[in-house]
Amino acid sequence: MKSYQSVLILKADLDDAQVDQVIEKITEFLSKNNGSLLKVDKWGKKRLGYRIKKSRFGYYLNIYHTCESLKVSALESDYKLYDLILKFLVIKLSDKELEQEMKSDEIDNAVEETKEKTPATKSESDNGVEEVKEKN
Amino acid sequence: MARSGGNKISKSTRKKTQFAQKICRFCADKVTRIVFYDIKSLKPLISERGKIVSSRISGNCAMHQRRLTTAIKRARNIALLPFSEAS
Repeated sequence: MKSYQSVLILKADLDDAQVDQVIEKITEFLSKNNGSLLKVDKWGKKRLGYRIKKSRFGYYLNIYHTCESLKVSALESDYKLYDLILKFLVIKLSDKELEQEMKSDEIDNAVEETKEKTPATKSESDNGVEEVKEKN
Repeated sequence: MARSGGNKISKSTRKKTQFAQKICRFCADKVTRIVFYDIKSLKPLISERGKIVSSRISGNCAMHQRRLTTAIKRARNIALLPFSEAS
């Protein structure tokens, strides 16, 4: 069983219950496929580097989990189908890396720095002229 | 550009400017792993337009530059960093 890190960008205007719902759904999938959830970090609402589906803000979720390597593509397609998820990134971690990740609880200075300063009200509604190309 | 000026100085007489030896910032801190979500450490190695600063400029060693590029590309993919920014 290999360990993975998946970072999800959820829609920015979700409440806590909906976020928990997402986490629940993922745990469900993982338990079905012999995987397990190791750790969940909520990075919270942040400004995106570029617009994704016309929104400038997103709610970041960082998840460490184990998963069967054959089921990762299924997990990814599951992420794709789930409409609350704007974008995601799944990365395989080696044992050493995982150890470091579990140890370092608070490297989340990334979160502090880019935490949005202005309310999202004005930017979210305007129509995006430039479409950002997405690989996912 | 300094060189494209009209005053011609032959190569032999031109003063060689001495540059300070650049040190890889990751080697100095003994960082082995560059994490893609640690934006604080990635930000200074990105130009205003969002490009990756070359190791020639930053002085990073080859190993760390390689790891840095993958970290930056991952951060871009997940929208922690922009692919490009308007000047």
